[in-house]
Amino acid sequence: MTLQIELNGVNKFYGAFHALKDINLAIEEGTFVALVGPSGCGKSTLLRSLAGLEKISTGEMKIAGALMNNVPPRKRDVAMVFQSYALYPHMTVEENLTYSLRIRGVKKAEALKAAADVAATTGLTHLMKRYPRELSGGQRQRVAMSRAIIRHPKAFLFDEPLSNLDAALRVHMRKEIRALHDRLHATSVYVTHDQIEAMTMADHVVVMRDGVIEQQGRPLDLYDRPANRFVAGFIGSPAMNFIPAIVGEDGMHAVLDLGATRARLALAAPLAAGVAVTVGIRPEHIRIVASGEGAFDVPVGFVESTGSATYVTSATRPELTVVETGRPDIASGERVGLAIEPTQLHLFDADTGKRLEVARAAGVMRFAPRAAAHPAAATFSPS
Amino acid sequence: MKRILASVTDGKGFDIGLVLLPLAFLLVLSGLPLVYNVVMSFQEVDMFSLGTFARPFVGFKNYVDLFSQPETRPILLNTALFVSASIAGQFLIGFGLALFFSMNFPGASWLRGLFLVSWVMPGLVVGAIWNWILSGDFGVLNFFLRETGIIDGNIFWRSDPHYSLWAVIIANIWLGTSFNMILLSVGLSGIPKDLYEAAELDGANALQRFFTITLPMMRSTIGAIIALGLIFTLQQFDLFAGITSGGPNNSSNVTQYWAWDLSFRQYDFAKGATISVIMIVFVMLASVVYVRSTRHEVRG
Repeated sequence: MTLQIELNGVNKFYGAFHALKDINLAIEEGTFVALVGPSGCGKSTLLRSLAGLEKISTGEMKIAGALMNNVPPRKRDVAMVFQSYALYPHMTVEENLTYSLRIRGVKKAEALKAAADVAATTGLTHLMKRYPRELSGGQRQRVAMSRAIIRHPKAFLFDEPLSNLDAALRVHMRKEIRALHDRLHATSVYVTHDQIEAMTMADHVVVMRDGVIEQQGRPLDLYDRPANRFVAGFIGSPAMNFIPAIVGEDGMHAVLDLGATRARLALAAPLAAGVAVTVGIRPEHIRIVASGEGAFDVPVGFVESTGSATYVTSATRPELTVVETGRPDIASGERVGLAIEPTQLHLFDADTGKRLEVARAAGVMRFAPRAAAHPAAATFSPS
Repeated sequence: MKRILASVTDGKGFDIGLVLLPLAFLLVLSGLPLVYNVVMSFQEVDMFSLGTFARPFVGFKNYVDLFSQPETRPILLNTALFVSASIAGQFLIGFGLALFFSMNFPGASWLRGLFLVSWVMPGLVVGAIWNWILSGDFGVLNFFLRETGIIDGNIFWRSDPHYSLWAVIIANIWLGTSFNMILLSVGLSGIPKDLYEAAELDGANALQRFFTITLPMMRSTIGAIIALGLIFTLQQFDLFAGITSGGPNNSSNVTQYWAWDLSFRQYDFAKGATISVIMIVFVMLASVVYVRSTRHEVRG
């Protein structure tokens, strides 16, 4: 497998604003990469830099091995699907699809045939003579993707392409885009603020915040071993519970600060006594048991049921959210016990937010923040 | 009675009132003069029958007479030349400036606003300024043309029949360019940026982007501005009054100035009205183009 996209030490400044900070990224051919993060984290800037619509300030950017820093967008051979779709409103669907071919001087008959072929695979054949304004949101989205496909580009860039669609269509298009990617053996970079999209579609997820890559890796690796509190809170829905805690004198339990409640929770491995940590527990890793039978008891605040799952929120500070499958018989105000498996705890440094890796060596109560993966370590094979 | 009152204050009567009011306004201030003018073009009008509406009808006599006059043909041709040259000049320079300012360099919007100075000036003032610029003996234009070696001797712009019409055209282009630029700037800024980005990624260079994105997206704006240009240039009167007065020997005379000249200097009201009617036809055509192009907005 060859590297299709390489970013080494990429920085981007808008005047004094540092939009991208020392970005290192290596994407193998055929990979589906999701750039995810809250708005303003730099993910769109990074994507637009790949397209050449923004010029990077320092660092080097390679596409298919060729240095792209000063190559204009039209010579990069990448295709982009815009959030607004950016369909040419004065052209029919067919003209939209053939535009790039006509610009390149492809013969008309050939271009029309290519358009017909692509339209057949994306289900646009009966819409070829329509104008974009006569299409529904989902159809426009398909035209935007077809316009990218027809060029056989070196990479597909998606800029939040599903954010203008309604929820049901979004779920459907998610699968369609991924299926398309697999069929074309394409290299795709997909920007989204929706972590579910990132988790479900991508081979490789890059979580960004404030212009920095916080963590990158396989979706489930990010879920299971978040490198810091930000990633832990960003990936997963409902979000992970975070509780401030102090490691007890024996180093084998943490004292959780739940406002009025103080609770002792056993740790899977020893930590230095008296250290301030943040304990992270995913809502699905907590089970509700009878009062007194779990690790500790909490009063119940809210009970919300979606039918398939029940969300129980504790009346503590911070609130704890528990996801129970089925419909447990719990009412607000009741006291219930929470059963927590110590091995499923995530521990973060209270100050830096970095993940604490418990040293397994017997008797040594030492911990070290997990070092960020070297960029080369992020290269991997898709699937 | 109460029901009628209620209907007028809040109901169908109110809606009808809202429609009738502007209609009445239009009828009194635009419709009637227009109809009066058309009627007058089919009547025999002189100083003595001016005060009455009951004048003898003469059919198409005024039209026949008008077209048998020797100056009619050259004046119509002058008008055609004046309109087309003015519109072409205003549009091309205006579009060029609009594209230039759309590059959004520092101070672009400020400078663009400054250009409107030429448009807000009264035509007679512009005429006076251009009288100085065009002056044959000491005019700045002659000076530049002479110094750059384009001409050998002075051109007497306003009194040479070969140049008199062009003197007014140049002044009119100067007057109307900024209006064209502003409208075209608005049209340009209405084109979404991402279309250009998409086209750029699709491989289009700057020239291709202009012809495949900018021009087609501007179609309605361009249609509107050409139609407005036609209407405005056919209304241009002040510059003729200020620069050449239609002379010498009608060499720079156009229909709108001639209509005024016939009516209010030669007191031949019927002929003046006749010319006006001919112009109304052209302006109507332009209006149809204008309405159609502003209605057919191409936006995705």
